[in-house]
Amino acid sequence: MDRKRDYYEDVALFSSGWEIFWFGALLAGLAVFPFVAKNYYVYMANYMAIHVLVALGLNLLTGYTGQISLGHAGFFAVGAYGTVTLMSAAGAPFLVALPVSAAVAALLGFLLGLPALRLEGPYLSIATLGFGITVTKVIGKLEIFGGRQGMHAPDLVLGPWTLSTDRDLYFLIVTITVLFALAARNIMKTRVGRAFRAVREAEVAAGAMGVNVSQVKTVAFALSAFYTGVGGGLFAFVLRFIEPELFDLMMSILFLAMVVVGGLGSIMGSITGAILISWLNLTLRNILEIPYFGDWLKELSHSFFSITGVSNIQFIVYGLIMVGIMVFEPLGIYGFWLRTKKYWKTWPF
Amino acid sequence: MKTKALALVLALAALMLFAPVLGAEEGLTDTEIHIGQWGPQTGPAAPWGAVARGTGVYFDMINAKGGINGRKIVYHMFDDAYNPAKTKAGVKELQESVGIFAWVGGVGTAPGLAVEDYLMERKVPWVGPAAGSMHWITPPQKYLFAVYPLYFIEAKALVRYAVRHMQKKKVAIIYQNDDYGKNGVEGAKEQLKVFGMDLVAEVPVEITDSDLKPHVMQLRRSEADCVLLWVSPKHAVMTVGTAKAMQFAPQFMSTSTCSDYTLMYKISNGLWEGVICTNFGELPDSGSPLMLEYKEAFKKFAAKDERWGTFFLAGFGFAEPLVAGLMSCGKDLTREKLVAQMEKLKNFQGIMGKVTYKPFDVNDPNCRQGQHEVFLTQCGKDGAVIPISGWMEIR
Amino acid sequence: MLDFIQSLVNGIAAGSAYALMGLALTLIYKTSEVVNFAQGEMALVSVFMTYLVLDTYGFPFYLAFPAALVFSFLLGMAMEFFVLRRAKNHTVLSMIIITIGMEMILLGFVSWKFGADPKTMPFPLTPYDAFIVGNIFITKLETLTLFCALFLMAALFSFLRFSRFGLAMKAVQQNPTVARLMGIRVKRVLLFTWGASSLTGCVAGLLISPIVMQPYMMWDPMLKGFSAAVLGGMTSLPGAVTGAYLVGVIENIFGSYVSIEFKSVVAFAIIVLVLCIKPSGLFARHHVKKV
Repeated sequence: MDRKRDYYEDVALFSSGWEIFWFGALLAGLAVFPFVAKNYYVYMANYMAIHVLVALGLNLLTGYTGQISLGHAGFFAVGAYGTVTLMSAAGAPFLVALPVSAAVAALLGFLLGLPALRLEGPYLSIATLGFGITVTKVIGKLEIFGGRQGMHAPDLVLGPWTLSTDRDLYFLIVTITVLFALAARNIMKTRVGRAFRAVREAEVAAGAMGVNVSQVKTVAFALSAFYTGVGGGLFAFVLRFIEPELFDLMMSILFLAMVVVGGLGSIMGSITGAILISWLNLTLRNILEIPYFGDWLKELSHSFFSITGVSNIQFIVYGLIMVGIMVFEPLGIYGFWLRTKKYWKTWPF
Repeated sequence: MKTKALALVLALAALMLFAPVLGAEEGLTDTEIHIGQWGPQTGPAAPWGAVARGTGVYFDMINAKGGINGRKIVYHMFDDAYNPAKTKAGVKELQESVGIFAWVGGVGTAPGLAVEDYLMERKVPWVGPAAGSMHWITPPQKYLFAVYPLYFIEAKALVRYAVRHMQKKKVAIIYQNDDYGKNGVEGAKEQLKVFGMDLVAEVPVEITDSDLKPHVMQLRRSEADCVLLWVSPKHAVMTVGTAKAMQFAPQFMSTSTCSDYTLMYKISNGLWEGVICTNFGELPDSGSPLMLEYKEAFKKFAAKDERWGTFFLAGFGFAEPLVAGLMSCGKDLTREKLVAQMEKLKNFQGIMGKVTYKPFDVNDPNCRQGQHEVFLTQCGKDGAVIPISGWMEIR
Repeated sequence: MLDFIQSLVNGIAAGSAYALMGLALTLIYKTSEVVNFAQGEMALVSVFMTYLVLDTYGFPFYLAFPAALVFSFLLGMAMEFFVLRRAKNHTVLSMIIITIGMEMILLGFVSWKFGADPKTMPFPLTPYDAFIVGNIFITKLETLTLFCALFLMAALFSFLRFSRFGLAMKAVQQNPTVARLMGIRVKRVLLFTWGASSLTGCVAGLLISPIVMQPYMMWDPMLKGFSAAVLGGMTSLPGAVTGAYLVGVIENIFGSYVSIEFKSVVAFAIIVLVLCIKPSGLFARHHVKKV
């Protein structure tokens, strides 16, 4: 929106002093948060931060490079299982296990990126969907991963500290998420990021300009898988127990929903999208406790629907939010933000 | 610039959510006891959600009778959609905002395992997880009291009956590929080993499968004369139906999960007749005084579209030992005292089998496994229940 | 050998339901390039409405089933009119999210209204009665499904190939703007397509309902139908049906002879392999985007 004057301004991580100020304020808020909020909200923040991480990764692929994926739960599972197995079976420290398993996820992403070179639209979505489902089936088959009966995450030891409470985990997860968000922002400002976008906008034109399209696509897959793998590795410790059925198609769909609802091709969009969707995921069950509205819903169920199925209103609300945002603002939450900003730009004139 | 909105939101959130207040004993006042449960009301596992609603009706009944030593039970139930992340969120929220004295029931192995550590670290008693998994008692936890007989035990009982009383020579199993199914396989194998036999076929079913022909063909190829159905009701009916279409007619046996004969008879169009199931509690239409009382409560407190079925009734059964424990504590209730009183329960008889606990011993899993007995019934015409054995105690 | 033939027959039997769902998805994709994730749940709503009419109000099935088809047609049109048409920007991804959102709304509605307990559809055919020839069996219901799938495919195919409306649909798919300039009522064509597709899905749903009837019954057939449609090229009706039978047969043979645990995912692996060689499926010409 603002005019760029030179190249270095374009690639700078922060474009103005205000941005640095707000970023500092955000960091301060994040640092204070676990000390003032109840433990439950800290757990929720952890859950959200992990989904932010995944959304950032998926956004690199779907938002910036234009490749759809319905299989990211597979990478998430690889990250989670890899980290837990490396730690409990091989005795690796966390700081080794996490990057190694994320790297494995990235390798799988790279491999999945190869057939994806020739596919697009529904073809690509089926291929990735198949990948996601297959990964969990394979994990369920292997006894080293506890098979279908799942496995417990070991204690998370980080140097001198044992991270056992949600607050301990919070600092680890949020630090990683913030670093990865900055990294994603930085990547997008470099040559690689511009190549991603060029491929999204026009593959052939990008190729003609000297962008190595196949390389860009596979790298995008690998990078995206790496982010998701890290998220998965952390998720295992938030939940403390993992089993293959957790990482189902629904999870992949929600990941995609986060990115699209938040706004394709925007870091802030992914963050807000992930926060919104995971917040809905965790709190919509309380919809019947809302004063008046909840009672009205129950009344309605009594007369026209079934009271045993009343909780399913969650699905309806969830769906309505997704459809509503996408119908009225294809750019998602980020689109709303842009429009609001534009609207107020000339205020009060 | 872009981070502005987020920072604002977080700052506001930080202001609003202030630290919790912890009382002397959480979830307990002079007039109230707060008890919680999770259960899937949405999602593919939603039929099991009836357990949590059943417990609600049971507590209504207890409250109507005057509550527990002058205290009323305040029941908090939430929907976790069988998703462990949601279970954990709900349990933490209730535990830290309302304060829950004890948890009861809770459908599912995975959701339960996700919160087990949390509850045990906070020393919150949890009675009667609604899943017969070995996880609860290996190793036993001081504050976790299992009621539901293990799927493992159910498999043993069925195999024992099939081999001893029906002279079956070839036993096969079709099982759901998860903790539930695997426990069944282990139990069946262990019991067959006693008779010097082994399973002639083990066929896994995925929860999402919509076509079971290859599975049933494998069973037929093994020429089994007795097939254990360790699957969900939907798949159990599909298996029996497909077998009928193939003219493959072994004796089918199934778990308590599929023992709601009225429902099973209906959704299978009568094919369920002749199937033998394990039961861990009295049947919904039995005429014992306790059952009649519960039925009365059902009529009085349950929503009008609720069904008086096995799952709903199980919600009563899992909560019975907890209520018995609470009752015996008297007026000055604490968690430690509740645990001590629960340990004293001996041959406690509600609508389930006898429940016995022993003082806590890390090396004895049975000190926290309440029920060890099941009995067998056969489905008759129109879903009638034909008891074919007495209570069988199995360890 | 007998087992092998039986597996083949089983595969074809299973494939018929996939074929119907595949046809439904293909119809919509053909005209509007929308992958309709709500397809299964649209059928679900129709099936449960039929159940309501049959079970609660006691209508005879020969009235209820045609009524269900009409209802599903209207439902499909309503979806297009009230939701899809309102969308501002038709990108592939936003359409996927919208249809997934619709899927949740419809699924939520059905579970809210009917609860989660399995139901029994008062279907005129008991689902497990079988024809037995030699030692090979196929149930009567599956035979009916097979005929329905083939009949609908033939009907839709010839309709699209030989009628003016079919031509209009093709024009809409290739270039909506030019189609409108040529005097084709693009919106009406889309409306009709959604109706027809919903109807096809409803037939699939009604034929599945005697076997299993609960809110999640259409999830697996939908996914399999989707993969069948992709295998067949996403834009070809006979392709979708062929793809469906291929998926069914491969699944069953793989399940019987290789590994039953991986039966449900083998189809996807095969599809990835096929797509590596033919990126637009078996029956569609590879469409190269111009700059």
